[in-house]
Amino acid sequence: LFYMLYLTNVKHVLCFQRVALLVASDIDALCACKILQALFHCDQVQYTLVPVTGWQDLGTAFLEHKEQFRYFVLINCGANVDLLEMLQPDDDSVFFICDTHRPVDVVNVYNETQIKLLIKQDDDLGVPPYDDIFRDEDDEEGGDSGNESDEGSEPSGKRRRFDEVLFCRGSVCHVQYEYHGTSASMMFFELAWVLTKDTKDMLWWAVIGLTDQWVHDKITHMKYVTDIATMQRHVSRHNHRNEDEENSLSIDCMRISFEYDLRLTLYQHWSLYESICNSCYTSCNFKLWTLNGQKKLQEFLADMGLPLKQVRQKFNSMDMSIKENLRDVIEESSNKYGLKDIRIQTFGVHFGFKNRFLASDMVHATAALLESTEKDESDSDNFIKALDSLSRSNLERLHSGIELAKRKLMAIQQTVASCICTNLILSQGPFLYCYLMEGTPDVKLFSKPIALTLVTLSLMVFFDVEKGTVIVVGIPPESETSDKKNFFGRAFEKAAESTSSRTLHDNFDTSIIELKTDDRSKFLDALITLLS
Amino acid sequence: MDSSEVEFLAEKEMVKIIPNFSLDRIYLIGGDLGPFNPGLPVDVPVWLALNLKQRQKCRIVPPAWMDVEKLEEMRELERKEDTFTPVPSPYYMELTKLLLNYASDNIPKADEIRTLVKDIWDTRIAKLRLSADSFISQLEAHAKLDNLTLMEINTIRAFLLDSLNCMYKLRSNLQPGSSKGQFTDY
Repeated sequence: LFYMLYLTNVKHVLCFQRVALLVASDIDALCACKILQALFHCDQVQYTLVPVTGWQDLGTAFLEHKEQFRYFVLINCGANVDLLEMLQPDDDSVFFICDTHRPVDVVNVYNETQIKLLIKQDDDLGVPPYDDIFRDEDDEEGGDSGNESDEGSEPSGKRRRFDEVLFCRGSVCHVQYEYHGTSASMMFFELAWVLTKDTKDMLWWAVIGLTDQWVHDKITHMKYVTDIATMQRHVSRHNHRNEDEENSLSIDCMRISFEYDLRLTLYQHWSLYESICNSCYTSCNFKLWTLNGQKKLQEFLADMGLPLKQVRQKFNSMDMSIKENLRDVIEESSNKYGLKDIRIQTFGVHFGFKNRFLASDMVHATAALLESTEKDESDSDNFIKALDSLSRSNLERLHSGIELAKRKLMAIQQTVASCICTNLILSQGPFLYCYLMEGTPDVKLFSKPIALTLVTLSLMVFFDVEKGTVIVVGIPPESETSDKKNFFGRAFEKAAESTSSRTLHDNFDTSIIELKTDDRSKFLDALITLLS
Repeated sequence: MDSSEVEFLAEKEMVKIIPNFSLDRIYLIGGDLGPFNPGLPVDVPVWLALNLKQRQKCRIVPPAWMDVEKLEEMRELERKEDTFTPVPSPYYMELTKLLLNYASDNIPKADEIRTLVKDIWDTRIAKLRLSADSFISQLEAHAKLDNLTLMEINTIRAFLLDSLNCMYKLRSNLQPGSSKGQFTDY
């Protein structure tokens, strides 16, 4: 059932056991994993870390480890399916799940012995009450009084039976949409806080996890702001604890500060001009793929009085006089050009004299490392590299991540520009559809196609040459009031069923699937009829 | 001897910590430790203090000599005297490095302390080099140096011994009629 707080006696049990950590491949999960690893080190709990990328991976990992481990911790995977059904574990296996995917499968919610969910109480779960969907055995037995031979052997006490009929009737709406809850790393940070073992490092990882949800458009703006406020309370608590006029901290200690900073990706590690050109928000609002857009950008820079030579050089080398008021100057001018939200609440960290990073910088760098497409690198190598880049002692890795992220952003921009300019976007009834041909730069670079959402594409298709399959990503339309609930998951499933297309629903996000190229057209037709 | 060995020996020094857990007395081969009660200071060896600190189970109290004013005085004294002045602790350099690496959030004005200790170290090493230089060049037979720490001795050991060996070889070759190899006249 639910465990809002990690009870110390449960923790005591884990101290003397070995634990298997199964972690999904997204930044929030990585941050949560780092926090949990730090907690395990404090209490010297032995654990095995297994990165998983999809349901199949999860199944294989479980089969490999089920002999040696009784306790499994799943991070950002497993809550939205009937886990016991899928994995068929022994009766003494216990699963601790901290997953942001919603809706949580009702069987997981109401299982009392084997599945323990770490969820915040006020997260909107919309779980129907127990009686609506489970029918207890007692009711059934009453009706079977005629069957004498079986009654004596049945154990006393209620047994649950998941009643399909009642479930379908009661909660059709419940599983229609998928969305995300509070970030897993924030959950683990709260756990550390309750155990009074929270450190600034953990706080920073929690901030990065939260920022990942925002950067990749998984939560609403309201939720992001609320969570930022929660984090801000922790940050002030930590800052108060250590700063004192008399005994100031060593410069090498980590300092986290609240920043109301610009929404220009990686601008402090790049040049201002490059950052403006390659950030989704600015490039889409200015429409930088058109000549008009370019002109507007030049006007914008001139309006702020920023000479081109300054703006094109590395940010750190810009004149101090320009850097001082940069944020206010940019905000003023952006309002004139219709970019109302150029500034966003976030956090920055600095330690040592040289090292300053914003939370979004870290997210992009780590994401680039996680999904890096260099040859000879397996998924788990990338996972470990990305995990390493989150530690303060691995700054080189972080910097290489930043370089990779820059390349990725530039590739995204070029692709977007070419798609729009060459009219690759087709309107197919209820959605817009864009097909990226073989010639586009490395496909895997685009497994995070969030950049394209701001261009109001609702559906994108990528071509994977090796496997002859296509990756389909469904993204709901972008609007001011959108609650980020994604209906594409169910739509994909139904369309696949009705046309018996060969699909692979392996990703933990049900809105991302793989589809055989040959079935593409009939799948899309089915999808069109479904969504109309 | 390697500097890491010297650091290992330095970890046996005692330092005061304030634990946040409780544990009865523990009986180790090197001696007894504890009992540990949350909030009450207890003396433990540095290796244990660092381990507990990393597991967030204690707070380290900086030793009495690790204070800006005291270190400033020591530095001035060191600069004035020609010989070596008494050191705050036989392992002052290693302890500074270890404690400032792992527990700099428990030590006030950590950066200044680091600079001051480095200044003291530099002055002493300079004196040591001068002394070694004069010892070798003036072919002295013995020297007496007070108040040197193991780390400083270790720094100069390899050089001093090798150069003295070289000098001995050169000297013994110059003496006519010595049993070691003679120069043939060319």
